[in-house]
Amino acid sequence: MDQEFMAKVKMEVVDKSTAPARSVIAMQLKDVAVSFHGRTAVRDCTFDIAKNRVTSLIGPSGSGKTTLLRALNRLHDLTPGAKVAGQILLDGVDIYRGDLTVTELRTRVGMVFQRPNPFPTMSIYDNAISGLRFNGVKKKSILDEAAESSLRSAALWDSVESRLKVAASNLSGGEQQRLCIARALAMDPEVILMDEPTSALDPIATLRIEELMTSLKQRVTVVIVTHNMQQAARISDDCAFLLMGEDRAGELIEFDTTEKIFNNPIDPRTLDYTLGRFG
Amino acid sequence: MSDLVDLQSPHEIGHEMRDEIRRISDHLRRRRQVRSTIMVALCGVALAVTAVPLLLLLFELFHRGLPVVLHTGFYTQLPQTPSLVAPNVTGGVSNAIIGSIVLSAYAAVMAIPVGVLAGVYLAESDSKLATMLRIIAQTMAGAPSILMGLFAFSFVVRALHIGFSAIAGSFALAVLMLPVIVISSEIAVRGVPNTLREAGLALGAKPHKVSMRIVLPAAVTGIVTGIILAVSRAIGETAPVLLVIGGGYINSWKPLNPVSALPLSIYENAKSQWPSLRTQVWGIALVLVVFVFILSLSARIWASRKQRAR
Amino acid sequence: MADRGADDGVDFTDLLPPDLQRQAEVVAEFNSVTTSRTWYHYLLIVASLVFAAVSVGFVGTILWNSLPEWAHHSRTLLGGRGWQAPIGPFGGLAMIVGTLETSLIALALAVVIGIGTSISIVFLIPRRFRNIVATLVELLAAVPSIVYGLWGFLVLAPWMLTTVNPWLNSWPFAKAIFGNPGQEFGTSLLLASIVLAVMILPTFVAISREVIAVVPQDLIEASLSLGATRWQVIREVVLPTARVGLFGATFLALARATGETVAVALVAGGVANVQFHLLYPGTSIAAWIATQFGESSSTEISALMALGVILMIINFGLSLISRGLVNRQRKILAVV
Repeated sequence: MDQEFMAKVKMEVVDKSTAPARSVIAMQLKDVAVSFHGRTAVRDCTFDIAKNRVTSLIGPSGSGKTTLLRALNRLHDLTPGAKVAGQILLDGVDIYRGDLTVTELRTRVGMVFQRPNPFPTMSIYDNAISGLRFNGVKKKSILDEAAESSLRSAALWDSVESRLKVAASNLSGGEQQRLCIARALAMDPEVILMDEPTSALDPIATLRIEELMTSLKQRVTVVIVTHNMQQAARISDDCAFLLMGEDRAGELIEFDTTEKIFNNPIDPRTLDYTLGRFG
Repeated sequence: MSDLVDLQSPHEIGHEMRDEIRRISDHLRRRRQVRSTIMVALCGVALAVTAVPLLLLLFELFHRGLPVVLHTGFYTQLPQTPSLVAPNVTGGVSNAIIGSIVLSAYAAVMAIPVGVLAGVYLAESDSKLATMLRIIAQTMAGAPSILMGLFAFSFVVRALHIGFSAIAGSFALAVLMLPVIVISSEIAVRGVPNTLREAGLALGAKPHKVSMRIVLPAAVTGIVTGIILAVSRAIGETAPVLLVIGGGYINSWKPLNPVSALPLSIYENAKSQWPSLRTQVWGIALVLVVFVFILSLSARIWASRKQRAR
Repeated sequence: MADRGADDGVDFTDLLPPDLQRQAEVVAEFNSVTTSRTWYHYLLIVASLVFAAVSVGFVGTILWNSLPEWAHHSRTLLGGRGWQAPIGPFGGLAMIVGTLETSLIALALAVVIGIGTSISIVFLIPRRFRNIVATLVELLAAVPSIVYGLWGFLVLAPWMLTTVNPWLNSWPFAKAIFGNPGQEFGTSLLLASIVLAVMILPTFVAISREVIAVVPQDLIEASLSLGATRWQVIREVVLPTARVGLFGATFLALARATGETVAVALVAGGVANVQFHLLYPGTSIAAWIATQFGESSSTEISALMALGVILMIINFGLSLISRGLVNRQRKILAVV
């Protein structure tokens, strides 16, 4: 199994011919910048997130990947002093200035976090359908169907079917993270944001999550932040490379298909980074 | 590899269901929003309801207490009982101030060595005795203070035939302080990083030397903070001393004499029929509160500064 | 890996990851501080035994001194009305009922308001004020209870007499609950409950604020990301996660309220009547001990000691419950 695993890790950009073409756009970023108390954390981000593809955000620490990702579902609203400039469009509607409420936005743009964080007081079942409950769905038939469908999509159904009422904390780390993905999927969002979803997991669990992401493409658009170059190469179709500028603010260096970014980038810094010369 | 994940095609949610979920959620969104705003606002109201009486209390305390404490006689004179001839005479509270200092000093002398050493034992032992002591300490820490008074009365005043005295009050306060010091010392010693212990052991020091020379000095901030907080709690306690110190009306530093104490004079003056004493009582309360504030603030500031220095 | 486990007498520390292995060794070696026979070790043991002796003596002495009363009049103590000093009978029902009434009402007021306050401190107050407010709360928790009693007695009691009592008595249903003493009593069970509530609020908030503040930010963001409103985050994620700790804080506050002495002695009125109309005066166990002790005969002192035993049982029970709950909360959060 180890050899097989190593082979998988060493693989460079995998064949992406199965991914749909970049024809439909899920989210558009136009000149997006995020600042905290007037200090810019990331800026100059202009690119399109294509529907039903996996877009990865890569770059060294401090380049603002996570900051940018959290702007996409307005999680910075919580942080005092945080400001998002530019435009982020979901289906052509500006998520900051359009007539989209935050709660509606977040049901359409889900999120998976670095550390698996199922709600500790809820069962597996309750975790899976927690989003529906928040949004007022009470009908048992809908809840049951959504629970099964999302847990199946997260490749978790078979192992938890018999213990749905058990506390989520009984699951392993990898299973917990898949439960968190199921939780996000249950709302049937258009986009799922993933913030280094495998950084707290062991290699086997990581691999399973990666395979899961690839299979999820048919259902949702995925945006993932990752530190792991091989991971970005393996799973993403498009890739945004960010780098910390001279004033310590991150900026977008290059955005293109993953193949181009890894094999034939325009900017020499991109090549340096993907080859592991810094960062 | 494919046995890892079942790679069957993802299950499509029927679009009717997605629509149904969206419809319900759209329908209820406004109501949820309004409900949220109201409930969060109610939490703000709760904050106000908490703050108002407490701020009023502080205001009354300073407003009524300040004029009293500005006289030097308040600190240096003995109390005088007003009479019909001189209804406004109050004297000072020197006996109560001295009494409070005496009581907490003797109590600290009794409680600190036992409390700190027992705390160190709890931190560095997993024996059955330690487990039992931990439960005892936590239970004793919350025991009603009036019971310490009953204990001191039965044991010191009656069984030892010492009578109403400063030492009986100190004993009651020491019993009150002990579990607090034990618990805070244990926490402080446990908080010393294991790397320090390793370093000491690696240099070939004996375990007990490491404990004394390395661990205790490193934990001293936490231990002292705990002691100060225990003293500040003890100095404000009325119930335990009420039963056993006898309420002396002279300045006395001797352990076997009856003494007074600040909280005790508050209790007695508040119930007095003389308006002059009921005015003076706010001054006594202010002195006591300032005392306690200084103690707990200094403990807090010291602890946080040491922490930052680390 | 498997063949290693098959060895007899395997030391399980070998199976730990290296960093934990080292830690286990250090702890093992260090535990010898308390098992090695040095004078330092004996000093620690002696101090611990002194502490244990004091604690056992504390319980034992009070129990011993109350024995004469328990032996002959235990039913009167638990169920009798009326306190006939100096020779008895000494009925404890009024004090027991008064203790429960005042502390439960105080608790009901303090918990609801206190949880709201803690939520406000953690989620509403701007970050830079948060530490100041938290420090202020902890300072107020350190204010001696006699000061709360003084304020209740000299400020609130007259105000109850002139304003609150007449106002409550203008409502027919309130009259049924609170009674109608006219302008006779300023001090009452109701005032005692209010003063107790104000007094335990800072203590309760200091703990519950901490319990709420340590709910992981992760969980809050996760629920927001699922479209929850602010209140839903609080109601369905924060409070359930903090629930056990909040119960712990509640029992601690209850323990403090039942044991409070001088504040209640000043504002409850000091009358040994079983009283359910809250505007009338009453008393509590602790307050009754404090007010009666001064001029007691030895039989009465024994009866007061017996009351102390009742208080001790109530208090220790609450402490045990609250400690169990707080430990469970630690485990819940450790899982996250």
